[in-house]
Amino acid sequence: MRRSSKKSSSSSAAAATAGPTRGVSKEIERIDQLFCTYADSSSSVIDPEGIEMLCSHLEVPHTDVRILMLAWKMGCEKQGYFTLDEWRTGLKALRADSISKLKKAFPELVQEVTRPSNFQDFYPYAFRYCLTEDKKKCIEIPVACELLNLVLGLQFHPQVDKLINYLKYQNEYKVINMDQWMGFLRFCNEINFPSLDNYDSDLAWPLILDNFVEWLREK
Amino acid sequence: MSSQKKRATKVEPLKHRTDVDPKFFDKSWKKLDDAIREIYNHNASGLSFEELYRTAYNLVLHKHGMKLYDKLVEKLKGHLEEMCRSLEDAQGCLFLEELQIRWDDHNKALQMIRDILMYMDRTFITTLKKTPVFDLGLELWRDIVVRSPKIHGRLLDTLLELINRERMGDVINRGLMRNSTKMLMDLGPSVYRDDFEKPFLEVSESFYSVESQQFIECCDCGEYLEKVQKRLAEELERASQYMDAKTADKITGVVETEMLSIHMQRLILMENSGLVNMLIDDKHEDLTRMYNLFKRVPDGHSTIRSVMTSHVKETGKALVTDPERLKDPVDFIQRLLNEKDKYDKTISVSFSNDKTFQNALNSSFEYFINLNNRSPEFISLYVDDKLRKGVKGANEEDVETVLDKVMMLFRYLQEKDVFEKYYKQHLAKRLLSGKTTSDEAERSMLVKLKTECGYQFTSKLEGMFTDLKTSQDTMQSFYANISGDTDGPTISVQILTTGSWPTQPCAPCNLPPEITDISEKFRAYYLGTHNGRRLTWQTNMGNADIKATFAGRRHELNVSTYQMCVLMLFNSTDGMTYSDIEQATAIPRAELKRCLQSLACVKGKNVLRKEPMSKDISQGDTFYYNDKFTSKLVKVKIGTVVAQKETEPEKMETRQRVEEDRKPQIEAAIVRIMKSRRVLDHNSIITEVTKQLQSRFLANPVAIKKRIESLIEREFLERDKVDRKMYRYLA
Repeated sequence: MRRSSKKSSSSSAAAATAGPTRGVSKEIERIDQLFCTYADSSSSVIDPEGIEMLCSHLEVPHTDVRILMLAWKMGCEKQGYFTLDEWRTGLKALRADSISKLKKAFPELVQEVTRPSNFQDFYPYAFRYCLTEDKKKCIEIPVACELLNLVLGLQFHPQVDKLINYLKYQNEYKVINMDQWMGFLRFCNEINFPSLDNYDSDLAWPLILDNFVEWLREK
Repeated sequence: MSSQKKRATKVEPLKHRTDVDPKFFDKSWKKLDDAIREIYNHNASGLSFEELYRTAYNLVLHKHGMKLYDKLVEKLKGHLEEMCRSLEDAQGCLFLEELQIRWDDHNKALQMIRDILMYMDRTFITTLKKTPVFDLGLELWRDIVVRSPKIHGRLLDTLLELINRERMGDVINRGLMRNSTKMLMDLGPSVYRDDFEKPFLEVSESFYSVESQQFIECCDCGEYLEKVQKRLAEELERASQYMDAKTADKITGVVETEMLSIHMQRLILMENSGLVNMLIDDKHEDLTRMYNLFKRVPDGHSTIRSVMTSHVKETGKALVTDPERLKDPVDFIQRLLNEKDKYDKTISVSFSNDKTFQNALNSSFEYFINLNNRSPEFISLYVDDKLRKGVKGANEEDVETVLDKVMMLFRYLQEKDVFEKYYKQHLAKRLLSGKTTSDEAERSMLVKLKTECGYQFTSKLEGMFTDLKTSQDTMQSFYANISGDTDGPTISVQILTTGSWPTQPCAPCNLPPEITDISEKFRAYYLGTHNGRRLTWQTNMGNADIKATFAGRRHELNVSTYQMCVLMLFNSTDGMTYSDIEQATAIPRAELKRCLQSLACVKGKNVLRKEPMSKDISQGDTFYYNDKFTSKLVKVKIGTVVAQKETEPEKMETRQRVEEDRKPQIEAAIVRIMKSRRVLDHNSIITEVTKQLQSRFLANPVAIKKRIESLIEREFLERDKVDRKMYRYLA
């Protein structure tokens, strides 16, 4: 494998003024080419089908959280579609211009995302990514449950487990909004589980969490 | 004399060149000694004051002051000791008298002795700071006589014994008592206090401790308090008659403690005769006594208040939660009003209108009236009843009084917005059916509500009155304007402004052709004079007078619009099935069933006959014109739209509407508060919102939280990024 990355970093100063070096431009070329492999020829974006194909090549299920992380890295705006710009941004940042390099970049990506400072950004991103229409501000309960599992399931398994059960059981709320979504993360980070001893319903927790805690305590 | 001289000129006393007679002192003293004896023997008249004075004067001048003083002390001591012994021999009751007499004597003697020794008093004694003669005399009396072991105890015991006898009902020699205590007071405040007052108070304490125990075992509360009042008066009188003024407060304090404080709980809570029973039986005299007596005692009034409060709360709670009582709303409210009257009277008569008691009563009423969430509805029904039927035998003032009293209950309501909803409904029914007895009373009620709750509350209600007035005018000009046949039915239209009236929009049913004619004429007329308006017939609300003939007799039926539509069908046929009627009239199913029931199933009003004869209306029923209908009255009223207690489903519906109405009010309050505060924490918002809305209803913190979250979603507010408890207003 050519150490193209090193070469580009050492010459990036020069590159800023003198234009892309050959190594870098080659990288961009390869990235673009890779894009074309998956993109739909008429719309020139990678559509859900293309993403599925990408995933199978990466040997990662397309519901895997790493794809979501990749979307975040790319700054994807629309769920299920990668534009060329987004593709370029992501892969450049990961310094990957081939499937194998991309695959190898995953572990580092996961580490990067789970760092608290990045996670604070990734978490709401995941919510916004799932909003299906322009004006919509909420996601449906089943979708929210899936997403919770995906995004928080590993770090906070017991809480997420109980929370998902509750969300499915209750019928007061049919959708989750951003405020409630952010509340879930705060809850997992701040509240002792399963004791719940430091949960104070007088502090402005979203009502859905007050009800969740009450439901837990009754059991 | 030169002014420069600074030294004060000295005047030397004239020095007598007298020979110093060694026996001078003794001779002089003998004179004085004899004189003193004579004085004590009541033989002073034979003495020469001037000579004695001069004798003493000379002694002091010749520097014999000290000796003279000592001799005086010795003389007095001796005399008093002797007197003591004879006093100790005095028998029984004479003891006090003897003491009295001797004391008088001593006082008089002292005066004379002092006068004689005045010079010594003024010079020698003052210079050497010795006790002046008179005071000396008193001190010696105190130490030798009063505090002599035998006399001291006997004096005290005698005094206490007499007081005890007087307490038990005997008459004693008060003059003697007064003189004795005065003597002690003259001897010095500490003498009076230590030698009489203190033991007196201690003895009294045990006396009243015992007596109060006896009384409380055998008396009921009222009797006991009477006795206490008597004893207090007695002790006060006794103290004023023969004790120092300050003792009065102390002894009454003892009585209050022993008889009232210690037994306070037991008295107030005494079964069958305590405070609660007095309140129930309106025992005003006993209550006044209790109030006045317990005023003197720490926590007396607060204990009475708290017992009264729990009693009122309890009886009130029983009243409002009794399912029997809930069957008749008017009676329910009347009972509450009666309760209020009863307690108002008690507080005014027995508790001298004490504001703290009035407040306690108010908070008790507020507590239990809100235990029943139908209270707002019932109060409205009560007012409805009164405005409909008038207050029995009442003139204008009485009606005002009744309404004022109802307003007092209204003030206790936490859910005033629920009341508003019902009041509107009931008022609408009254106005539309023309069933109110007094327009003034209606207006007066509105004014009261406006004063209590502000313009917002009553603006729509006033709109209703205005609509009716305007409708009257409109009808007049309509009939003045139309030409053509006046044979058809006459209509009277009430035009209601949507939004002012609590009407449910309903699709109009099919009116009989006789009616559609004139009603269309009216519609045309109205829309001709009022541009851009839309009229919708509210067929669920009108009424009609129909002339009908049954078995040859003519009657006039007063029915609802729906009933009219149904009945007019029978002009063209004698019998119709349910479905036919439904189709022809297009009256909604539930209403139609009620309507048919009222026409066919009610005894005395069955202008229709139903087959089968069951009480319930079902699809397969057939209805016939009942030619056998009879009634004693020519005018028969069938089905008026009277305000009634709501059924369960209606109640749920109203409640739901109230809850829905509250949401925007809560949101408006939140936005108002956040707009002015900009940033505020969660608990403060809850408090502020509750406060702002409390004149209309008690806001639920959970409901407020929900509204906050909704406002966050709609981006009126946001959570602070650092402190999640804080909310920020988004302009």
